[in-house]
Amino acid sequence: MTAPAAEQLKRILTLIPHLADGEEHPIEEVAELAGVDRQRLVADLTSVSERYDTPGGWVDGVSITVDPNNVSVRTSHFLRPMRLTMPELCALELGLGLLHRERSAEELPAIERATERLRKAITQLPSNEQHERLRVAELAAAGDPEHLATLRGALRAKKKVRLRYRAGSRKESSERVICPYSLVFASGAWFVIAYCDDSEGMRFFRVDRVEGATQLAQGFTPDPNVDIASIAGDKPFVGAPGQVMTVRYSPRIARWICEREGGTLETDGSLISDYPLGDMGWAVRHVLQYGPDAEALAPVELRAEIVRRLDGIGG
Amino acid sequence: MSSTTSRTSAKVQRWIDVLTALLSHTFPQTFVELARAVPGYLADGSVAAGEPSGAVKRMFERDKLELRTSGVPIETIGEEGDEESRYRLRSTDFYLPYLEIATQRGTIKPTKVDRHGYRSLSELTFGADELVAIAEAAVRARQLGDPVLRGDIDSAVRKLAVDMPLGAASAGDGTYIVQPRAVADAATFESLGDALFRQKRVTFDYTSMGRGEVSRRTVEPYGLFFVNSHWYLVARDVGKDAFRNFRVSRISGLEVNNAKAGTPDFEIPASFSLRAHARSKNAWELGDDQAVEAVVDIRGASGAARAAAALGASHGPSESVRRFTIRRVDVFARWLLSFAGELVPLEPPALVEEYKRQVAATWAVYTREKAS
Repeated sequence: MTAPAAEQLKRILTLIPHLADGEEHPIEEVAELAGVDRQRLVADLTSVSERYDTPGGWVDGVSITVDPNNVSVRTSHFLRPMRLTMPELCALELGLGLLHRERSAEELPAIERATERLRKAITQLPSNEQHERLRVAELAAAGDPEHLATLRGALRAKKKVRLRYRAGSRKESSERVICPYSLVFASGAWFVIAYCDDSEGMRFFRVDRVEGATQLAQGFTPDPNVDIASIAGDKPFVGAPGQVMTVRYSPRIARWICEREGGTLETDGSLISDYPLGDMGWAVRHVLQYGPDAEALAPVELRAEIVRRLDGIGG
Repeated sequence: MSSTTSRTSAKVQRWIDVLTALLSHTFPQTFVELARAVPGYLADGSVAAGEPSGAVKRMFERDKLELRTSGVPIETIGEEGDEESRYRLRSTDFYLPYLEIATQRGTIKPTKVDRHGYRSLSELTFGADELVAIAEAAVRARQLGDPVLRGDIDSAVRKLAVDMPLGAASAGDGTYIVQPRAVADAATFESLGDALFRQKRVTFDYTSMGRGEVSRRTVEPYGLFFVNSHWYLVARDVGKDAFRNFRVSRISGLEVNNAKAGTPDFEIPASFSLRAHARSKNAWELGDDQAVEAVVDIRGASGAARAAAALGASHGPSESVRRFTIRRVDVFARWLLSFAGELVPLEPPALVEEYKRQVAATWAVYTREKAS
């Protein structure tokens, strides 16, 4: 495999258009540009600038000078970056494909034009076909893309949103005003994380249950102490914490749950997990989806509700 | 400098020399003409003597192949490896066109290089909204967690950023993709990416979560897909002679078959579509069982029940009766159970029986506790 050499060549060819003006450039800045640390950059450039062979029919080549603080390049070649390679195009297309699924109708033409335009910027090689179709990605649909567009627009503009929302356990939707902090894709679904003016706290809303979204003129200032990454990573499918729900998963499925949610297996191979419980309907569905392999241990109200619902089915 | 690093550096120096030599000439060059400008090919004196040695010729053939693999479109005029063959790298094929940005106030043009070899480069004009789309697409693809994909995105963005302010176009759109707790390591992704491109068989240990068993598998990789927050490898399991999806985070000890490294081990059938294969499926649609039609009565009106009903198709005149195509009766029955009576199966009898069995078994979990 020649990956290290290919990677080094790629880094050097990407850097030269930025550096080949005959001037000295601070190494720290160049390293940031190349996306590598200082040590790697110096090793890259030094290795190709220190030549021990005697040029024979030496053409007008590349001269690279590296001192402890600066780097300079002189050449009449590689003053433009190389065209995009097929793997690079495929990676960008994969991202554009994801956007295409999320965006509103009016945003789609720009995504399609960008895809078409990028195709004109690639190197043409017979091996291009081999790179296509090696990777695809798909995120679950987020309900009405117009709602997602409204939420995204409000998020950028830091404007409040009037949301008509049908909670999982409710038969009717209700309205509330939210301050959107972030859009999150987690556990196969889209959520908006927002401060809810009506319930005066941070809440998760599944975007596919949004029935209406209107951006309001009133703006908001996000609380700088709210750590979205931390909230998003902590069981985002759960509603606002009120009580704690404790569930025991049988050894048959415990490893799978453990992989998804973390935790430590009991000695018998089962797993006991706690969850913030904000929505009884969600909790019942969450436990019953595993049938006899999950048992709600607490609170007693949840156990009673599960038994009541099972009795209703004819258990 | 270690010998490996030294070999790598020598190779990169040689590659730069080959590219420089090719780009310096408008007309195609023979290998001997080219080699005179590449010190790495002159070491044994055979080129200077006018009789390039076999070792030097093989070195050039390898360099050419590796440069092409890196995306460099070196043209061969004549047969590959033939002494009379000529080689060419057109600057217009190699260098990125000038990227312009069309705005409402006019077109922003990049500074052009006023030298031979660069004047003929074309121009490609992007709209400002397209620029935003590219920047956001880059962010989204990076969020998927595949380091190979991220590397390709980063290098593409660095190239485009020479002319276009991609960083300024968007630092992201405020969206997060939450990674699962168990993620595959970078080395696994890299090896799989390499095996996919070269169509080589791979062997690995796979942890089956259902039974918790680890088994050694040899497969022919067809593609990688990201769905429901996880990366999967779709491959033909050689031992089972069947398609399987493997969650990449459960793969370890991966080895790529390096026998006949330059020759593919298998062919992906033209009829195979990774996109169609990866299309988001519900758990009851997966599996090898015969597909059957299930009829379900939607008795509840909660948001969850309505969303579930939307996954099925209409069946008869009643809006509340929906039809689903399923392959796994047990998984579908359990999914219905999660709606706690809001979705009830009507057909086929095997599904109705399985549903009742699961309801009874679950009820027993709670009543057993009550009795004790």
